[in-house]
Amino acid sequence: MTNAPSALPYLDSKPRGAADFYFAINATFRFIRRRFGLAGLQGYWADIGHGYFAPVTERWKRGGLAAVAEYWRAFFASEPGGDVQVDCGDEGAVIDVRTCPAIAHLRAGSREIDPDFCQHCYFIGEAMAAPAGFTVRIEGGDGKCRQRYLKRGATKGDQDLGAIRRISPC
Amino acid sequence: MLGCYDFCGHYEWTFAWLHREGGHDLVRAYWDEAIHGDSQRHAAELISEGGIEGMARYWGHTLADEAAGHHTTVTDRVFRVDMHQCPSKGFLLRNGLEQYPDYCDHCMGWIGPMLRASGWTVDHEHNHHGQCWWEIRRMDDRTAPGPAGGLSGEHDVRLLPTWNPKGATIDAYERANDPDDKSRRQVT
Repeated sequence: MTNAPSALPYLDSKPRGAADFYFAINATFRFIRRRFGLAGLQGYWADIGHGYFAPVTERWKRGGLAAVAEYWRAFFASEPGGDVQVDCGDEGAVIDVRTCPAIAHLRAGSREIDPDFCQHCYFIGEAMAAPAGFTVRIEGGDGKCRQRYLKRGATKGDQDLGAIRRISPC
Repeated sequence: MLGCYDFCGHYEWTFAWLHREGGHDLVRAYWDEAIHGDSQRHAAELISEGGIEGMARYWGHTLADEAAGHHTTVTDRVFRVDMHQCPSKGFLLRNGLEQYPDYCDHCMGWIGPMLRASGWTVDHEHNHHGQCWWEIRRMDDRTAPGPAGGLSGEHDVRLLPTWNPKGATIDAYERANDPDDKSRRQVT
């Protein structure tokens, strides 16, 4: 993975994020779920994908699947503690998450993780991808998963949410 | 995936989302319940058990982790932070991100209730340009904060020429624990 975060829309002065912020991300999901239910939480994820990440979508429109892969390489290079391989080929942009940095840090901190934490990668990713002409399919979860960004129409049907593993108790 | 590298960006975006969905009360509840009561519960435990020593341990770790430009002053009665370059607000300013009217309120939004629960209160000012100061004392200690330079000497953020330039808006909290318990003044 490259250490240059040039594909990222928002840049910080330090090369990697502070892992304790994963605690706040997880707590935010739990708070929204308590107030609005799982459907409300899924709506929040879609909104953040459409809104906050709109600059990423614009880059994907211009740069295609290569830009998708470039973004995720830069993204995971800036996150602490993960083990992630990003490839781009005939199958699309494929992200092989061997160790999810967020799940690893939450587990190390003995935090109760929202059971559907891993769905956020689908709902945010799909909201970012769809306006650029792509779709995402995710298999696995709970610390390890495989995410494929494909051209829309290259796969039939919707994401099977059952293919995204729920978080297992510690 | 939501990451921690640009956390402050989507955190601030989330304040605006919550405000749209449930108004100011929902944003306040988020800071208190999700950040104070859940995410930062380790801070509450450290400070509840260790007082000023716990504050030094908590903010020593977290401000170093976030690469903040700051100075802390610790006595047996007061914990003071002079924030010269807030990493969080600085991220937003550098990237032109502003969805919520006053991002800086989030600190008092979770720290204020956390300190109240263990008997501490806050004098604080922020200038909306990534600079602020905090003095935390026991609720029964009526000592007022001193003049600029009085407690932290040359490190006092109020001595910087960038602290209160003409046109700056400074929010001030006096013996407060509530994010809305503030006054505002414009530098003329």
